Amino acid sequence: MSALTLVKVHRGVAAVLAVLALSAGLLVSAMPRAMQAAYDRALRQDLDAASAQAADIVVTRRPQLAEHTLTTPAAFAELDERWQGLLPPALREVTEHGPGSRAHYSAKTEETPVAARIGPGFQAYQFVNVGWLSDAERKVRYVEGAPPGPAGRVRVPARPELGEIPRFDIALTREAAERMDLPVGTMLLLGHSGTIAARVTALFEPVDPADRYWQHNGDLLHVSVRRGGPDHDEFHITGLTSAATLSRLTGEERQLIYRWVLPVRGEDLTARNARDVIEAMAAYSDSVRVADPGAGKGFIAQTGFQADTGLGNLLTGFLGRQRTAETLLALLLGGLTVVALGVILLAVRLAEERTHAALALMRARGGSLARVTATGTAMVALAVVPAAALGYAAAYLVPGPVTALAHAGPALLALAAVAFAAVRLALAHRGPLRERRDDMVAQRPSPRRITLEIVVVGLALGGAYLLRNRGLTTSAEGGADVFLLLVPVGLTVASALVLIRCYPYPLRLVVRLLDRGRRAVPFLGFTLAARARASAALPVLILLPALAVSVFAAVIADGLDAAQRESAWRRAGADAKLESTVTIPQDAIERVRRVPGVRAVVPVAKDVVAIGLGGRPGVGVALDLAEYRKIIAGTPLSAPPPPTAAPAAPKVAALVSPELSNGGEFAITWRNRIDVVPSGIVRGLPGITAETDRLVVVPLAAAGSIAVNTLLIQGTGVDPAALAAAARLPVKPLVATFDGELAEIADAPLAATVSRTLLVVTLALGAYALVAVVLVLAAGGAQRGAALALLRTLGLSERQARGMTVLEVTPMIALTALAGLGLGLALPYALGPGIDLSPYAGGPATGDHPLDLVTPSLLAGGLTAVAVLGVFTHTAVTRRRALGHVLRVGE
Amino acid sequence: MDRSETASTPGAPPPATLSDLEERASRRGPAFGESAHILCDNLVRIYKTEGVEVVALQGLDLLIDKGELVAIVGASGSGKSTLLNVLSGLDVPTAGVARVAGVDLLSMTAKDRLRYRRETVGFIWQQTARNLLPYLTAAENVALPVRLAGRGAKAGRARAAELLDLLGVAYCAGRRPGEMSGGEQQRVAIAVALANGPEVILADEPTGELDTDTSEDVFAPLRTANRELGVTAVIVTHDDLVSEQVDRTVGIRDGRTSSETLRRESEDGGIIAQEYAVLDRVGRLQLPRDFMNALKMERRVRLELERDHIGVWPEETRDTEGTDSDA
Repeated sequence: MSALTLVKVHRGVAAVLAVLALSAGLLVSAMPRAMQAAYDRALRQDLDAASAQAADIVVTRRPQLAEHTLTTPAAFAELDERWQGLLPPALREVTEHGPGSRAHYSAKTEETPVAARIGPGFQAYQFVNVGWLSDAERKVRYVEGAPPGPAGRVRVPARPELGEIPRFDIALTREAAERMDLPVGTMLLLGHSGTIAARVTALFEPVDPADRYWQHNGDLLHVSVRRGGPDHDEFHITGLTSAATLSRLTGEERQLIYRWVLPVRGEDLTARNARDVIEAMAAYSDSVRVADPGAGKGFIAQTGFQADTGLGNLLTGFLGRQRTAETLLALLLGGLTVVALGVILLAVRLAEERTHAALALMRARGGSLARVTATGTAMVALAVVPAAALGYAAAYLVPGPVTALAHAGPALLALAAVAFAAVRLALAHRGPLRERRDDMVAQRPSPRRITLEIVVVGLALGGAYLLRNRGLTTSAEGGADVFLLLVPVGLTVASALVLIRCYPYPLRLVVRLLDRGRRAVPFLGFTLAARARASAALPVLILLPALAVSVFAAVIADGLDAAQRESAWRRAGADAKLESTVTIPQDAIERVRRVPGVRAVVPVAKDVVAIGLGGRPGVGVALDLAEYRKIIAGTPLSAPPPPTAAPAAPKVAALVSPELSNGGEFAITWRNRIDVVPSGIVRGLPGITAETDRLVVVPLAAAGSIAVNTLLIQGTGVDPAALAAAARLPVKPLVATFDGELAEIADAPLAATVSRTLLVVTLALGAYALVAVVLVLAAGGAQRGAALALLRTLGLSERQARGMTVLEVTPMIALTALAGLGLGLALPYALGPGIDLSPYAGGPATGDHPLDLVTPSLLAGGLTAVAVLGVFTHTAVTRRRALGHVLRVGE
Repeated sequence: MDRSETASTPGAPPPATLSDLEERASRRGPAFGESAHILCDNLVRIYKTEGVEVVALQGLDLLIDKGELVAIVGASGSGKSTLLNVLSGLDVPTAGVARVAGVDLLSMTAKDRLRYRRETVGFIWQQTARNLLPYLTAAENVALPVRLAGRGAKAGRARAAELLDLLGVAYCAGRRPGEMSGGEQQRVAIAVALANGPEVILADEPTGELDTDTSEDVFAPLRTANRELGVTAVIVTHDDLVSEQVDRTVGIRDGRTSSETLRRESEDGGIIAQEYAVLDRVGRLQLPRDFMNALKMERRVRLELERDHIGVWPEETRDTEGTDSDA
């Protein structure tokens, strides 16, 4: 008899095994991929959001000695090659180089003041730096005048004392030329000492202004305005010069900086090589610092070369968030894997039971143990291995990088199933004709086993206690927190042990009560249920984690949803928020009010104010708190009631943050001086400002002249574009809606993945739990059928038989469901600080949301209900078999 | 039959000369059951489950010669099936001696046991469904043991055809058990048991599930195998039809052989059956329970050796005549 025959004969069981192996293989292989893909997307998003200056590697030197001066592009190129050469492999893989890349080098002066202008139109507080870019010819086009030429020398008639000074040609953008009044032909004297002349010969514009290249060289494109003193602003620009002037650009007389930019390719950075990149970056910084082409010549041991990048911080921050995310996902994936494996083993057990008669006959007729075991194992392998391989192959449909777990998971599952089958078969057929009478005599628990169980339960409880006290390990190394992953496993095993050991006791109590009653069926049913059978252990070990993890996932999903909504409310402040940098006039407010869907508009003025005599900066908010409270009713946002005190004008009653509430009355400067009387405490207005320490909230009406710059809007289905359009402001306002913010938070790669994972895990575990129940029913079917047939010969009606089966099977499932529900609800608390939802919630997650019991209870209740239905169906099917046939078969 | 008889040679032995006696003393008698094909000596089988001990065989003695057809009868729980499982190598006795075709069943290794099951014994269970794999045809079922013994598929097919033909079920070769009657199934099961040419065939109530006519159809092939193939056959049965057709019927009571019935053909062609009580090697004798009840024999009896028999009297009733057991 071949294994193929067995598969053919027991095709039902084989199909169940195959489906289970396929789904488990798919889940175990696809989920890590999806997670990795999400991590990579999140990292890409972080890198895209970061500026090129923060993400790229920049080697700098501020030359102060003549021998440090680089006078030709070739000298720069030589060093550039050196920097490229020093890159560790991990960094080289993620950086761009070669022609066409963003890699470039530059020399720029810094803080070079305009000392005078030859000709009329001198403006004070102007700074014009001179800068050279290695690949300017590819990045800019000249739109007016002639490109800068080589440096020359010039005498300034108005300043004869300077003698002959160097003259540079520079080109500016049109924005700089207009804003700083530096048209083509302007001649400037730069620097108060070592003065040089700069002639504006051309205007240029960038070929591609959106190129990340310009984030390194934004000082050439845009005028930067800085506060120079209490009464004036300074205007800074860098003029583009030619390579021919490099020889005259020395660091002895002015601040000069050389930069070599080694751009990082965001698409090559992944969550997996991030750690290597961080380490490589540290090594690279060191090797650049000690690399001195002129070492030994100068008196300064330190060369002044420095490699800078924000990449390390960016990646470290990301890895921290990824680790938090990973912990939760690893918990879910681990739970799912364990349950999937458990259900597969349950199906293997069913297959072993189904093939037992045939294999026992084979064994009795002279089949060797090896042969019988091999035949049965091959049958399981035939069902499991191709299915797991198919699941593994199907996982390639899920986009994402392939991790070791994605490869090994399905193989390990298949291997475990086959090994389990081999061991069980070998044990079952060790001796021929081994009669199994597990149900006849209750196994008396050995003291050793009881001690072991008590130790496991103690360890699990102790672990949970320690975890709550300790929280997540904070070091970024070492991947997921192993302790955090072990505690739920320990708790689940402990609960299962307690359940297996204790579930007969309440049932026996019921049996004792029922014994006094007149009806036989409940008594018999519960008596059967109260037998402490060894075969009950595996179903409990599967059902319990399945329910616990799916309830846990449901609770976390709920918490996550609440946290995301809270974050979105905090960001939007109301259903919608319109913020403007310019004043929003009354008619604009009226127009916004008339936008379809808008029900109420609360105008708000918000600005930085100077508090008290010291003029400490704080935030002033002016609004009608009563109106605001009305529009945020029913949301997680809150605002204190408006102050009731009404001090005599011009004093204004205000709510102030606790820090400001001690000193009595004070004044704030908000355009004009306002005297405020603290008449209440405000601990923050989360939807309006993040400030909590120095916050002053005054009624809008009381602060007469303050300009409204924010509108908080209540309404449904409000179109942000319509709001902006209706306001008709000279500067486009910023509009945020609750729905928009929520969508943005929920669609972020990590958040979307974790939500999807939670859903998949909940559904998959629910399905697995059901399959486990069905398998338990199927496995005990023949034995139960025979027992019922026997009872029916004693006068048990079909209805009673059905009722009895239900009573026999349901208590175990119901008790397990209850325990699973309890464990699932307790897990988030047991894990406490270890589970941090903030990476997915778009902000800090408070975690103190009311527990929603509906979904978890539905899961547990639904499972029990379906189990009972399954029992009914099963008895209905077995009823059709002739009584005599059942009795004879079961003999 | 209402009398139990112990066998002895009729008439007194001739007086022995001194040299005869010397020769007899110097000659060692044959060991117990030395020539028997199946030997059980003081066989004990104890089943132990948690805290409970069941003694299924308590010192059973049995001798069966090569080529014999023996039926074993006994009440439920008397140990018949246990004995059969021990003989078939499926179960290991706790103590005693069990030897089949020269193979010691107590000292076998797992490998020996496998070879023993493959080559020495074949067996048939009561449940027709248990003997045959429902999804193999009759021929495939018969060929299975041959293939399991590693003799190849071709040899298996040839053997199957030969045996099915011998047992008169050649027409069933291509049918699955579900398509055969109970009698046909059991005949195929006999073929399966004979597949590897065993020396001993053991059957556990092979006709238990069958009606009288069909029983005859099943018993006949067993007898055929016994007579034509020279296979020693041991049949556990409740079926009078079977037990009345064998040469010897061994009764088992409380895990011991208690009686034997021998059948021989009389001069007029009828069958004469005589039931004997079994005397074991140390002289123990099991009295039939109804005999003991009739005379209220309990705990102790008084024995008296007469010239040609031993008298057994209940305690303190020595004067009662006519209650002695004739030897």
